[in-house]
Amino acid sequence: MVESTVKNQRNLFQRFNLEVRDHMLAWQQAVLIFGGLLLGLFLSALMLVVAGVGVSDLLNEFIISIFTSSRNINAVLLLSAPLVIVGLSAAIGFKARFWNIGIEGQVIFGAIGATLIANYDIGPDGFRVLLMGLVAALFGMAWIALPMVLRLKLQVNEIISTLLLNYIAFNFLLHLLFGSWKDPITSFPNSKIYDQFERLPKLAGLDFNVSILLALALVIIFVWVLAVSRFGFVLKFVYSNSKMAKSIGINVGVLVACAALASGALSGIAGFTISASIDSRLTQSFFVGYGFLGILIGFLARNNPLLVVLFSVMMAILMVAGQTLQVFYQIPFSMIQLIQATIVICVAASEFFIHHRIRLVK
Amino acid sequence: MDFFVNWVSVVPQFAVPFALATLGLIICERSGVLNLGAEGFMLVGAMIGAGATLVTGSPHLSLVLAALSAGTLSLLFGFLVITLRVNQVISGLTMVFFAQGFTTLVSTKMNWTNKAFEGIGKIDFGPLADIPLVGRLLFDQDIVVYITILIFIVVAFAFERTEQGLRIRAVGENPEAADAAGVSVVMNRYFAVFIGCMLVGLAGAYMSVVVSKIWVDGMSGGRGWIAIALVIFARWRFWPALAGAALFGCVEALIPRIAAVGLQVPQYFVLMLPYVATLTVMVWASLGKNSSGAPGALGKPFVREERN
Amino acid sequence: MPPTSVVGQLDPAVKNTAGFVLELRNIVKTFGTFTALDDVNFNLKRGEVHALLGENGAGKSTLMNIVCGLYAADSGERLHEGEPVWISNPREAHALGIGMVHQHYKLVKPFSALENIQLENGSGPYRTSLNRIRQKATEISKIIGFEVDLDLPVEQLSISEQQRVEILKILTADARIIILDEPTAVLTDMEAENMFTAMRSLAATGCSVVFVTHKLREAFSFADRITVMRGGKTINTVLPNQLDVTELTTLIVGETVVESVNRSKNIGDPKITLNEISMKRNNGVNAITDLSFQVRSGEIYGIAGIGGNGQNELVAILSGLRKIDTGSIELNDVGRVENATPIELRDLGIVCIHSDRETYGLAYGLNIAENFSISGVLAGEFGSYIKVKHKLIHEATELAIEAYDVRGVRTLNQKAGLLSGGNAQKLVIAREFSREPSIVVAHSPCRGLDVRASSAVHEYLLKARDRGGAVVLISEDLDEILLMSDRIGVMSGGAIVAEFDAPANRNEIGKSMTGHG
Repeated sequence: MVESTVKNQRNLFQRFNLEVRDHMLAWQQAVLIFGGLLLGLFLSALMLVVAGVGVSDLLNEFIISIFTSSRNINAVLLLSAPLVIVGLSAAIGFKARFWNIGIEGQVIFGAIGATLIANYDIGPDGFRVLLMGLVAALFGMAWIALPMVLRLKLQVNEIISTLLLNYIAFNFLLHLLFGSWKDPITSFPNSKIYDQFERLPKLAGLDFNVSILLALALVIIFVWVLAVSRFGFVLKFVYSNSKMAKSIGINVGVLVACAALASGALSGIAGFTISASIDSRLTQSFFVGYGFLGILIGFLARNNPLLVVLFSVMMAILMVAGQTLQVFYQIPFSMIQLIQATIVICVAASEFFIHHRIRLVK
Repeated sequence: MDFFVNWVSVVPQFAVPFALATLGLIICERSGVLNLGAEGFMLVGAMIGAGATLVTGSPHLSLVLAALSAGTLSLLFGFLVITLRVNQVISGLTMVFFAQGFTTLVSTKMNWTNKAFEGIGKIDFGPLADIPLVGRLLFDQDIVVYITILIFIVVAFAFERTEQGLRIRAVGENPEAADAAGVSVVMNRYFAVFIGCMLVGLAGAYMSVVVSKIWVDGMSGGRGWIAIALVIFARWRFWPALAGAALFGCVEALIPRIAAVGLQVPQYFVLMLPYVATLTVMVWASLGKNSSGAPGALGKPFVREERN
Repeated sequence: MPPTSVVGQLDPAVKNTAGFVLELRNIVKTFGTFTALDDVNFNLKRGEVHALLGENGAGKSTLMNIVCGLYAADSGERLHEGEPVWISNPREAHALGIGMVHQHYKLVKPFSALENIQLENGSGPYRTSLNRIRQKATEISKIIGFEVDLDLPVEQLSISEQQRVEILKILTADARIIILDEPTAVLTDMEAENMFTAMRSLAATGCSVVFVTHKLREAFSFADRITVMRGGKTINTVLPNQLDVTELTTLIVGETVVESVNRSKNIGDPKITLNEISMKRNNGVNAITDLSFQVRSGEIYGIAGIGGNGQNELVAILSGLRKIDTGSIELNDVGRVENATPIELRDLGIVCIHSDRETYGLAYGLNIAENFSISGVLAGEFGSYIKVKHKLIHEATELAIEAYDVRGVRTLNQKAGLLSGGNAQKLVIAREFSREPSIVVAHSPCRGLDVRASSAVHEYLLKARDRGGAVVLISEDLDEILLMSDRIGVMSGGAIVAEFDAPANRNEIGKSMTGHG
């Protein structure tokens, strides 16, 4: 058709039509996500180069030195463990459409619970670590219980309520650290250092901390609960269509409550992991960043536990490399936060092409 | 009595950040875009406000620049949630994360952190400020306090009494209907997000340029989140939002005063007060009427050709 | 140029235009892998009332959505008054004088009628524009005999008033081509007739009216010309007096499917009794008021009535999703069950087929096997709490889709949302009937289904009845009620206001629908 005869001309923009895609093959999705990831990394590299890091140094700091130094590998694994756990925490919340933005608060309370056990020497020495972990889980659950109840009984938005509890937990932490839990020896605002048996040990004969194994064990439990058990099967319906789930006879409230409590427990355990394997005490800022990172990892991994591990390790590498950059290149650590956000934005943007297609119309 | 007058007279400067941020968020959300990035936009506003004051020396110009930079960043947010239809909760949180990194990085690099400056002072109304009881509340404030009231009036008028307001409301309530009526959902949402985030950025800039006259990392301290809660509390309406902001201004203004009058409450419990108050207010709001007043399409991305 | 009123003025030059006001040639539209429109042709004359007739899923709405700029066609030509045009968004359609009333009204509910009209038509200073539009809308509504309170929020208007607002909206926009998608779906016979009279008077002024319908009767009574669509193609355009009902039916369906009346021969004891139940909505207004009825085994109890008279709430109550405030629900061998939860009711053998399949029937995002097996999983049929046995699920699903003739299943891992309406409904029925329910509540089970799928659904309901079950069939489609029911209750204002034994008189049922409340 000759376009000049058309009464009202279309511009180029109107020639493209946005459509919703029904489905896309798994490998195509993977390619797109990977493309987004590459774009994110490329932009990040660009930012670093602009900030004054040479291209060859970049390669060296982020890849070569990480994988060639066992010290760095250990540091990455040590950081990965709590990241995996908070990633799982966010993911189980997502699976029940319960936005747990209060991971940081639960991390804080988990660590407080663990430190409580350690400080007051509760339980036999041999089981101390185990007890610390359990109490941390309980404290994490306790800290999510209020938003969970408010959401289920009064429809109070859990995004805001969990988030507000982060600030309350933080102030409570400061209250303890500047008050009764102050280090008796140094008077610094952190708890007294854990005894050796109150820390997560290194694996016998190896240099690894056991924390990464704890994280992997939780991954396996997560996979079982969601992919094998009846709970996981039913939870899919709560996620996909809660009204339909109700009408088919699923007790949606109970399922959401269970998932929320599990999320809180995981975050609590993450708090315990951080203080028992990294810091060996409760500090003022041990939790910083884990909340957002957990949510972003859960989102990037699309709630897939194996991808949670992958993205956690990636974030941990960024953080370890970031510490080097800080020391040797005077790049503030906040650059790493910016990079992490950039990667999330790019991957999230790539999802657009999974769900939509743009087509030229004649 | 003095305690009361002193307290009330500083309420406005604590209330203004809440008021502006809440107003900005209402504009966003009435267009259907859930903006959880408020904390981030506030930080950007505060950092740019302080930085621009240090560089240009003009705090008034800095307020404008701060609002514009928050608005600019909001275009990235808008691109994610409006054009790419990324989950709005995740996008908002990412913006906060992004802004935290960005503000710290830039302010460190530019050496703006912890540097005090002149800022904007109060307007001198002369003897008017000496009127008993209300004199200082009404006539011992900075210019932004008065501008805030003006902005509320303008926005409320624009929403209820103009074509553009009608379109934004329509796009937030029922984008399909608006689209079928020939109203561009995308453009109106971008517009609302831009204007809204400018106000949120202004709220942040007010904190650094007018109140504390210094930039400190992470200085918004959760006020963005409280503003999000205030939106729910106000049921997405303007004047209740202003009242809610005033309420929280009272709470914040109370904090430094509690210790002063000799009340023996542990310091950190006092600092929890705004967050506890927010939670209380949210519970209270949920107990109220049946309908929350939320815009019909809040948080839902729109695409025209969704097949049913 | 001052805006001209649509009504009353006819440009004399217009009469002489022999060509079509609108012509569509070779339109193709695909959604993903699904071809909704396959080389479609359509034309519209000035001043005519044109019926676009076809089954659900024939592509009628899709075609009209392309005309009004909501959908973009993949290819094809559109000619407006003989000239090729692009219509890539509703605003452009609007500029060409094309207005469409969608089946699901595109109204902003909290806005007043006037604001809704303003949204489409506003220009200039707000106040002035609002006044001008009020004047114009009032004028038009007087001429075509519509009475609507322009200042009430739309959500407070009745469904037929909302339709009038929609029509006023496009007329105020000076629409000359008026498209109505299934306009009578929610109207009583009486209201429908009034609406068509108004449309006829519009056509007399030179406007062209297209109405999309699947009802033969309407096309015969109200159209000047009829275009028949089937399976995404236009079959033919005919004059109403050219063909008789059977010939037209064959055109629509492609074959003749005639469902015959089949009354129950074996009605037994009462199975379920609802005794003066009442329930308030969240806003305090009664949704159900002293509603009573009884259904016996081996009986289909049809509930007729216009939508929005408490049907949704009744289904919610019978499925355990809502609790009643007063009254009682009794099962004859169990006792009172009004406080039972959804899962308890299912275990007692009561199942519901909801009208809103997407919301209550299936989880569209999950696969076919999951959607089929969920009730079995909950009942412990497919493994324990520890482990769900996916192999058993797949076997059972295979059998069920075979037995219930669910088609379009490439793999059991396919999302349920990708099934066509009819097959999705069959999947729901396969799940709900897998445990031989004794009471079936079916709410508009054939909404959106084509004739063959509808008759299959009806078959299953009849089978459930003949097994000795009690069936409650709630439908707005009076034809369906008359065809299927052994006894008919008419629902209005949240109560059963009249009961009829089959065979019942259509007119009397129609009268009792509106006569009350």
